[in-house]
Amino acid sequence: MIKITNLEKFYRTEEVETVALNKLNIEINRGEFVAIMGPSGCGKSTLLNILGLLDDPDGGSYLFNDIEVAQFNERKRADLRKHNIGFVFQSFNLIDELTVFENVELPLIYTGVSATERKERVEEVLSKMQIMHRRNHYPQQLSGGQQQRVAIARAVVNKPKLILADEPTGNLDSSNGNEVMELLTDLNEQGTTIIMVTHSEHDARYSHRIIRLLDGHTVVENIMM
Amino acid sequence: MLKNYIKTAWRNLWKGRVFNLLNLVGLAVAIACCTLIFLTVFYEFTYDRFHTKLDNIYQIYTVSNRAEGAEVTSSVPEPLTPALKAEYPAVKYMTRSADAGALIKYGNKELDENLHFVDEDFLKMFTFPLIEGNKNNVLSGLNNVVITQATAKALFGEEPALNKTVLLNINNVQQPFIVSGILEDISRHSSIEFDLLVRFEHYPNYAANINAWENRTHIAMIEFNNGYDPASFTSQLTPFVKKHFAPSIEILKKDGAKPNEKGDIFWLDIAPFSNNHFATNLGGVEGNPVNKTYPVSLIVIGCFILIIACINFINLSVARGFTRSREVGVRKTLGASKGQLLIQFWIETIMVCLASMVVGLLLCMALINQFKAIFKSRISLSMLLDPVTLFGIIILFLLVTAIAGFYPALMMVRYKTVAVLKGNTASTKPGKLRNTLLVVQFSLSTLLIICTIITWQQINYLQNKPLGYNKTEVLSIPVSGGLIGEKALKLMRNELKNHAEVASVTGAYMNMGRGNDGSSRSSILGFNFGDKEIRTHIQRVDYDYLKTLDIKLLEGREFNPDFAGDSTAVIINETMARQLGTKNVLGSFVPMYDSVAKVQVVGIVKDYNFRSLHEDIAPLTLTMDKHYEINYIFVKVKPGNLVASYDAIKKSWNRQYPNTEFEGSWINENTERQYLNERRLSGIFVSGAVIAIVISCIGLLAISIMIVLQRTKEIGIRKVLGSSVGGIVLLLSMDFVKLVLLASVIAFPIAWWLMNNWLQSFAYRITIQWWVFALATLLAILLAFITISFQSVKAALANPVKSLRSE
Ligand SMILES: Nc1ncnc2c1ncn2[C@@H]1O[C@H](COP(=O)(O)OP(=O)(O)O)[C@@H](O)[C@H]1O
Ligand SMILES: [Mg+2]
Repeated sequence: MIKITNLEKFYRTEEVETVALNKLNIEINRGEFVAIMGPSGCGKSTLLNILGLLDDPDGGSYLFNDIEVAQFNERKRADLRKHNIGFVFQSFNLIDELTVFENVELPLIYTGVSATERKERVEEVLSKMQIMHRRNHYPQQLSGGQQQRVAIARAVVNKPKLILADEPTGNLDSSNGNEVMELLTDLNEQGTTIIMVTHSEHDARYSHRIIRLLDGHTVVENIMM
Repeated sequence: MLKNYIKTAWRNLWKGRVFNLLNLVGLAVAIACCTLIFLTVFYEFTYDRFHTKLDNIYQIYTVSNRAEGAEVTSSVPEPLTPALKAEYPAVKYMTRSADAGALIKYGNKELDENLHFVDEDFLKMFTFPLIEGNKNNVLSGLNNVVITQATAKALFGEEPALNKTVLLNINNVQQPFIVSGILEDISRHSSIEFDLLVRFEHYPNYAANINAWENRTHIAMIEFNNGYDPASFTSQLTPFVKKHFAPSIEILKKDGAKPNEKGDIFWLDIAPFSNNHFATNLGGVEGNPVNKTYPVSLIVIGCFILIIACINFINLSVARGFTRSREVGVRKTLGASKGQLLIQFWIETIMVCLASMVVGLLLCMALINQFKAIFKSRISLSMLLDPVTLFGIIILFLLVTAIAGFYPALMMVRYKTVAVLKGNTASTKPGKLRNTLLVVQFSLSTLLIICTIITWQQINYLQNKPLGYNKTEVLSIPVSGGLIGEKALKLMRNELKNHAEVASVTGAYMNMGRGNDGSSRSSILGFNFGDKEIRTHIQRVDYDYLKTLDIKLLEGREFNPDFAGDSTAVIINETMARQLGTKNVLGSFVPMYDSVAKVQVVGIVKDYNFRSLHEDIAPLTLTMDKHYEINYIFVKVKPGNLVASYDAIKKSWNRQYPNTEFEGSWINENTERQYLNERRLSGIFVSGAVIAIVISCIGLLAISIMIVLQRTKEIGIRKVLGSSVGGIVLLLSMDFVKLVLLASVIAFPIAWWLMNNWLQSFAYRITIQWWVFALATLLAILLAFITISFQSVKAALANPVKSLRSE
């Protein structure tokens, strides 16, 4: 599903040039659950943003479903993104001014789903995430675990083929964290490809495979059993 | 302590310099505009204040309760003043006043000056200080003349002027006068303006009118005894009116005048002289009263601008305070008291206000000359040093800082410390207040846009409406300054006969529109016809009047030298014919002057607008009656080179009258001059609208910066979830567009009501069309949208990865 070769990303500021990704090569297959680990600042988020088509690489190739997307412009990337990829962030990134229902509904609005179908699909996914009873609450009124469940609901409501999660349990206690990991595992079992950045060896154990990055370069790939 | 506050304030201001700069610019523009506006208003409202006995001086006028409404006239008959003085002890002083141009001659120097005929009391009532001469008897001598310092200088140079003999040419009669006094030059703030004063006895036809109660020739002012309450004076005059005005009342009765609720048909009334600058119903003292609508609409617009600027200030301060909530929280945990915080924020406000004030006044200095030119204003910045103005400015300053500074400061101090430190400011978002204020701002702006469009439409309509006569190729020349019209017309006719470009020449009593001489006159005649009351405007014309002005003749013929009887014949307009009502009007005889010598109707013309479009077409009778003078000569030229024709006619005039200024002007210039007030109002509206919009948009810009800052995270999330750039721009703009729309809806009925009232003052007016409102709304929305898009587009194009990189 994903194949990157010699992928490069630099950040230039006035004084320094940071090499965030250095000729990185990774391949991920449909239906896999991959964890990306590594020390802080090694380029994990950068990688995830490029994989998620939020950012473009400075060099190398990125084949997404066998299509070269490294040179895609903003509009094409956005189009591909909104139909194929869901995101889960460490800090949830829910919109404070919108209710739970409205937050989850957003991606459907942007892909042009009709109002009745939206209602159906949002309610379905909220029930599945067991957050239906809070549908009219605002994010501020929910606990961290609940907020992350809403964020995951929002990420999957469009039935994406790929979910990217950047430290999804980073702001949660262990029991809430486990709940989130169970949800991701369920999604993966239903066929969604998942790529997750994490600091936790415990969480990484839910995945099929761990990719360890060091200074923007792959070091080890562990296959989990 | 204060130094510490100021230091901290300066640092904070510098940190938020973009907002504070926008804030400062908005407020400075507002201050500059308001200073100019309020100075103008102050100027208009302080006319004549230099008269020390102002509150005790009244102008007397008459009211005739005619069938078609009460008619107010400030002209009074000659015997009124002596009679009132004799019969009413409450009248301490009273003076008649009339003016004319006069040539004053000393040696071989001759000046054309503004002469006033007054009674001896004049200088006892009004405060025109004497520099030389004896205050008690300066106008006692019948042949005394009092001159202003400027005139003395012009006429005598360095020579002493007192007791010199000068020659005055009044109404073509030259007489010697003795200079008995020299006055300080008259303030430009005075309704009464003159260069020379002589006794009223010299007023033309004085002797003939000395007992003529039915001839009104001049105005009169009364000063009452100290402590006398003039409120009851009018009712005390009832027997006086009965005694002296009986014949006038009889005539009025015959004309169909009806008694009012008190049973009066005709009465005398008084109006405070202090208000004469605005007394448009009385025509003012010198014939140029200002309609109070204009200073009042200036005040209103000044207030609008100030309100809009204050709203900006509040919105920006609150918005900025919102970003400083963390600072407030930290300060509070460190032990700052509410009072200390309040002072801290207030000092910041005062510093911004002070800076705005300085910039605003500089701006004012830069703009004052253009302003004076556009609004015909005579203000100067030195008026700012007047204690009253100075006091006003200080009050205004305190008010602005209080309103604009206190509320935001209070808002900030009220933040809940714990919530703020947790990064939760959602509960303290200034949304509702901000939106309300924005709606107010844009309501005012839209209101002004609508007013601008409608006044502009109406003026355009007035200027382009066909009036029923030729106004482009006809030149109107006032025949004044002691020239006798009849003779001048003859001379000019002869002179212009040989000019190829001149098509025809005529003369008339009334002008078309308002000429360079600035005066307008009309004459109305009433008579009985059958069982009907007929009233008609009279226009004395000369041969070729219809031909020169291209007035359409419907029936009959124009006056013609071949018909001997034409000196007593008349031509009437359609409205007059309709009023007469008989079947065969043409050729019939009408008892216009008296029932014996009737005049024959020899022609009927199509109605034309001989008055301004404020008024309907009234019944009109054209006559060649020599009792009315020729005051204007009309010359029609062939189309083509109007400029050259004008010059040629002017040259001919100067050949005939080398000493009299040529004051000719095209009639369409004259008709446009009738709408000067309207154009002035429209100018006020345009400038008000532009300034209101600019300041509102500055505020909106700053708020949009703020909003985008607050919503970067949300924008990022939405983009990640698939929103397009257009979608984000729309999202950010929509909230404001809705507010502007609401503001427009609020402005509609107010604008409609205001403009509809204004349009009622015109007999000919446009109907207000719906698209004006749509256009104004569209304009407001467009401007708001453009303003916001500076920020929203930038935000929408930004890479969402950056805004979400919070870890
Ligand atoms: N927008 C940016 N500008 C400059 N440097 C950046 C930017 N984003 C990331 N970096 C740098 O790139 C490197 C990788 O960052 P990131 O991918 O966020 O690491 P991780 O998520 O593994 O902690 C770091 O050294 C970081 O400082
Ligand atoms: Mg990271």
